[in-house]
Amino acid sequence: MVRFFVGFLLLQAALFGAELTPWAQHWFVAPWTNALAAISADIVKLFDSQVFAEGKILQSQRNGFAVSIEAGCNGVEATIVLVAAMLAFPASWQRKVAGLAAGIVAVQGLNVIRVISLFYLGQWSAPAFEFAHQYVWQALIMLDVLVIWLLWVRTLPRGGVAAAPA
Amino acid sequence: MRELSLGGFVLRVAAWLPPAFLVWYAAATIFAWPIALLTEAVARLAFGDLVGKVEQHGHIVTIVSTLKAGAATTGNPVEGVVSVGLNTLLYSFGYPMLAALTLAARQPRAWRTLLVGYFALAPFVTWGIVAEFLKHVAFDTPASVASQAGFGATERELIAFAYQFGVLILPTVAPAVFWVLTHRGFLERFAAARRPVAGLQ
Repeated sequence: MVRFFVGFLLLQAALFGAELTPWAQHWFVAPWTNALAAISADIVKLFDSQVFAEGKILQSQRNGFAVSIEAGCNGVEATIVLVAAMLAFPASWQRKVAGLAAGIVAVQGLNVIRVISLFYLGQWSAPAFEFAHQYVWQALIMLDVLVIWLLWVRTLPRGGVAAAPA
Repeated sequence: MRELSLGGFVLRVAAWLPPAFLVWYAAATIFAWPIALLTEAVARLAFGDLVGKVEQHGHIVTIVSTLKAGAATTGNPVEGVVSVGLNTLLYSFGYPMLAALTLAARQPRAWRTLLVGYFALAPFVTWGIVAEFLKHVAFDTPASVASQAGFGATERELIAFAYQFGVLILPTVAPAVFWVLTHRGFLERFAAARRPVAGLQ
């Protein structure tokens, strides 16, 4: 358990530090954030055709309301935490890769729901948007990461988990 | 022994989350109290030359710096100092998250765990508060003010990293790690629930 936590914290700090570098921001974070806005717009267009994405901004043509997807709202940090938790936990590489693939999709899936819900919440009430944006959704995304990790740990065969020193 | 169902656990977390957020928001002043005390201690110990005093107004912790707000000239004597109001809620929303997780796990002595968590998480919230103050001084003030702090390039980089880490990672990861550490028995039984032989050794 101690080895897991030390590995988790080190990996997380290293991945987070790497994410902040200009190279990662330019080649990974910015394109990913733009793609997130585009995916959100594509989904919203299924029931609201007057919405479009431009770069990292999701905007309504009806009333001009827009949200800009910034650091902390693009799901990158939540993904980093999940990656660190799965890589640090004793399991086979096959299990880790499968867990990461499914886990990242699940985290980003909920994050798309976050972006879309905040987009409409902001059009309804600014205080509600602020509360949900700054506090509630941050906690929900981390709870999602925790639940995914628990689910993944639960699927591991006994041998994979038994290697964890307590 | 109760069956450990993931669905049941998630539903209980979802049920506890709204009242936990309500209590946290309503009692924000109480939650901010140890954070204000810790912020004052850290600020005076580590940045004594930058910090004049620390005040708490509800959930806002204000750090009054020793930095003069403008450059003094013979015709314009400096009167004020820079102060930064910091929202403790931005860094402490892990408290309701921890409460929901802890109460949903239904383990013995849950309230004691929450009391310990209240104090255990305070340093991480304080990290965010102090880092935001330093970020404000280093990056958000006019050059005439920032230069008084005397931060070098490396220090500015460290401040930027500390601030980003304090706002993007610590508020959610710290309570999650605390919960995992204080619920090892629960997690061991949970992880073993679907295996023929239990054991997170």
